[in-house]
Amino acid sequence: MLRVEGVHKRYRHGPPVLAGVDLALGPGAPVVLAGGNGSGKSTLLRIVAGCAVPTAGRVTGRPAVVGYLPDRFPAQLRLPADAYLRHLARIRGVRPEPGLLDRLGFAGPRREPMARLSKGNAQKVGLAQALGAGAGLIVLDEPWAGLDAAAADTLADLLAEAAAEATVLVTDHTGRAARLRGARHLRLAGGRVGEAPPPPPAVAIVLRCPDAEQVRRRLAPAGRLEGGRLHLHAAPAESDAVLFTALQLGCSVESVGPA
Amino acid sequence: MTAVAVARYLLADAVRSQRVVLPVVLQVAVLAVLFGGDPGRLPEPWGASVLTLYPVAAWLALTVAHTEDPVQRGVTVAAAGGFGPVAAGTLLVALAGDGGLAVLSVVWPLVTTPYSASPAVVVAGLLAHLAAGATGTAVGLLCARPWIRRIGRSLLVGAVVVIATAVQPWLPPVGSAVHALERGAGPDAFVLPVLLALGVAVLVAWAGVVRARRE
Repeated sequence: MLRVEGVHKRYRHGPPVLAGVDLALGPGAPVVLAGGNGSGKSTLLRIVAGCAVPTAGRVTGRPAVVGYLPDRFPAQLRLPADAYLRHLARIRGVRPEPGLLDRLGFAGPRREPMARLSKGNAQKVGLAQALGAGAGLIVLDEPWAGLDAAAADTLADLLAEAAAEATVLVTDHTGRAARLRGARHLRLAGGRVGEAPPPPPAVAIVLRCPDAEQVRRRLAPAGRLEGGRLHLHAAPAESDAVLFTALQLGCSVESVGPA
Repeated sequence: MTAVAVARYLLADAVRSQRVVLPVVLQVAVLAVLFGGDPGRLPEPWGASVLTLYPVAAWLALTVAHTEDPVQRGVTVAAAGGFGPVAAGTLLVALAGDGGLAVLSVVWPLVTTPYSASPAVVVAGLLAHLAAGATGTAVGLLCARPWIRRIGRSLLVGAVVVIATAVQPWLPPVGSAVHALERGAGPDAFVLPVLLALGVAVLVAWAGVVRARRE
């Protein structure tokens, strides 16, 4: 069991970011940490992963092998993907899992500098180094960022598999973590962590509209235009209202489903 | 050994960044000029290559310490299980570079000039280079992350420190080692400077761990 005991964190010349976090984490189910921008999620994840040290308090029971994916995995690495994964596995004293990049649908060059990879492919390398190490603790900061739909589904499966034996802690802004089966949900606010109800999964709506740009501006949730269709994500509570307005504006509904 | 694995990774990354090439080229260029004509009997000419290796080693260590960007460093620290193995790996890469350049500097005149040297003189020359290299590594690490974050400022501070200290003939270990070479002292005279320099380098690396943990 990994325990976070009375952890405080304050950066120089700044207000306290964490103000007494107590937490017990263990294998079994993934743990999802929610919180607003700048609430200190990334700081707490760094402390749990062991690459930052708390100002006060401590973390005990951290497993020997840790897999950590930072928010914005650096895309400007000079090493090729294969070499980077080999080196990181060697640092952890394990063998790299060869099939993981393929499973995530990695489609970039493996023997050229990672700086040439797209953001999504670089993110997949970041996930592979964190998830492919047989780590006892897996800490992923916004792991769904930049992933395509197929990889996002694969990631959910990978997290469920990993959580059986490892402690898994993730943050998420895409709404994907809400659909993780059996996940435990926490919320960080005011520098403290509390249990939180799982956020409702978002609803994905695809519309075909006569004047899509105007409709996009009228509807509350952020949407994007793709191939003449308007793709929207809405919370379940607001999805009916969105659909109603869209129909009034002369749109036709192509599909409604889980995001 | 985690530190060795970190060192191999940092070396691969640093070589790809090509920033480490410049200090190595500088040392090679000085050796080529120094031993190109008639440098005179050894070990005296080594005084110049020892004096060059000091800033070169500082530059090298500074570059290795700056190789990873801070986010990438976080991943490495988490993988290595703490700041200690990463600092040790950085130190190992820098010292290995010093060792390579020291051997190159000692062997070069033995091969390219007609002068020969007794084993005692060769050992003295090698130790003098190692003392300067390890001192440079200590200075370089002290002028890099986590003490100074930006590489431009690191280079500036490093250059000032090296220039201010390299010209003091009495100052151990670099100044005193050069002085001892000119006197033609035996290997014994260089053991203490080497140990002192290595000790300072290890101390600086350890202080860097303490400092990084406080950020």
